[in-house]
Amino acid sequence: MIVPSAILLHPTDNVICLLRDHLAGEKPLVASIQSEIQEGPALIANVPLGHKVAFATIPTSAKVIKYGARIGQATQDINAGEHVHLHNLEDRTPHGYGSC
Amino acid sequence: MLRDLPPNEFSGFHRTHGRPGIRNHLLVLCVCGLNAPAARKIHGALTDSVLISSAFGRGQIGNDKTFHDSLLSQFGCHPNVGAVLLLAADKPMRQRYQSIIESSGRLCAGFSLQEYGEDSEQLVSQAISAGQTFALTLAGMLRQPCETSALAVAIECGHSDATSGIVANPLVGDLADRLIAQGASVVISETMEWTGTERDLYARCRTPDIAEKLKRLIQQRHAIAAAADIDIHYGNPGPQNHIGGITTLAEKSHGAIAKGGTTGIVGALDQGEVIPEIPGLFLMDTPTLSPESISSMVAASAQIVIFTTGQGNPYGSAVAPTIKLTANPDTARRLPRQIDYDASAAFTGVATRTSMLPALAMKFLEVCEGSPVAAECLAEGDEVISRLAPSI
Repeated sequence: MIVPSAILLHPTDNVICLLRDHLAGEKPLVASIQSEIQEGPALIANVPLGHKVAFATIPTSAKVIKYGARIGQATQDINAGEHVHLHNLEDRTPHGYGSC
Repeated sequence: MLRDLPPNEFSGFHRTHGRPGIRNHLLVLCVCGLNAPAARKIHGALTDSVLISSAFGRGQIGNDKTFHDSLLSQFGCHPNVGAVLLLAADKPMRQRYQSIIESSGRLCAGFSLQEYGEDSEQLVSQAISAGQTFALTLAGMLRQPCETSALAVAIECGHSDATSGIVANPLVGDLADRLIAQGASVVISETMEWTGTERDLYARCRTPDIAEKLKRLIQQRHAIAAAADIDIHYGNPGPQNHIGGITTLAEKSHGAIAKGGTTGIVGALDQGEVIPEIPGLFLMDTPTLSPESISSMVAASAQIVIFTTGQGNPYGSAVAPTIKLTANPDTARRLPRQIDYDASAAFTGVATRTSMLPALAMKFLEVCEGSPVAAECLAEGDEVISRLAPSI
């Protein structure tokens, strides 16, 4: 039986979430709601459980998509398999108070 | 097979007015704090009853009074309620609620301290006797086929962790999408947990009017924080969130709203506003505490609640069966009697989210058809009505 180690939360997402700790060089097995388990890109560094990894290349300023929604933009070019976190993702949108 | 789950029919209780019930409760409804001790005694004597008891009911003014009285009336006419023992302080108060409850087709026996010469003991014994008669009548009412489209489903998350946003909420969101496809109404709440997703939420609204109403509700709730000098953006997400893999506020909030699925938003509701009988996803403005937010959605006529939790949370609705779901394997192991659906296999990778949906849909159907949830077995149910302003 194939055991997935990551999840693609929505078909339009460009990041996956890890379901366990991964080591550099590992290729996560990605589960998703709409397709069979597939092999993801090889990880560039160690990445812990719950964290995000780029599923495809994300250029500087491009939207980072999780849950099918924009959660911020890339502050640098992000390669497939790279950890996506505080060092390369931020959200400059002012929030709350009903901003459209 | 997946397409047909949940099925488009379930076995429930027809009502002459409004949505059908998935339970046929005898409700002890105490609308004034003066009757609260008596209400507890009556509820204790009637083993199959549920209790909703206000600690207030006099001296309330303005919006707070309107909200308090409306929610109690709505509970008295709730789809899952077949009969009501109504306890009030005085005759006009008793008459006001009783006429609303009776016009909804429910059995109702009303008792006020005034009409019993302030003799609470006498009131208790008479109410218990009336309750025993109602219980027999309710037991004789049979379940009949009802349409899934008549369901209003409240979805909540509490004591969340990384497992909530990655597995539990999206899995429940998958079920929400299925239920809406079957014509059901789904409602989520907790306004502060939408922070950072506003743009996406407005874009999902079916009409500009809905987006405008949603925007107003969000602004009102944020204004409460601002008036108290609370900056809800400061340190949010915090260091613990960062360690858990959450980077931005929008990401954190999207983890919470994932429980509502992916469909368009068909309505933005005030706290406790009755859910219109149309299919689709509703957002209700509520405070953050689970008892306040769940009770607001249940009073709005939700017959069932799905409650995802990371670390565990014992709370359930008194009136609407509350299915407790976790994707955290430690929580599922630690609280086996308090968790109704263990989705941790999708987090540990033993199963996929897709593969867990049919079993969750079956669990949902069984609960609709009478199978008790953990919170019912453990008598954890309660209802809490928010106070919106001080009394005089």
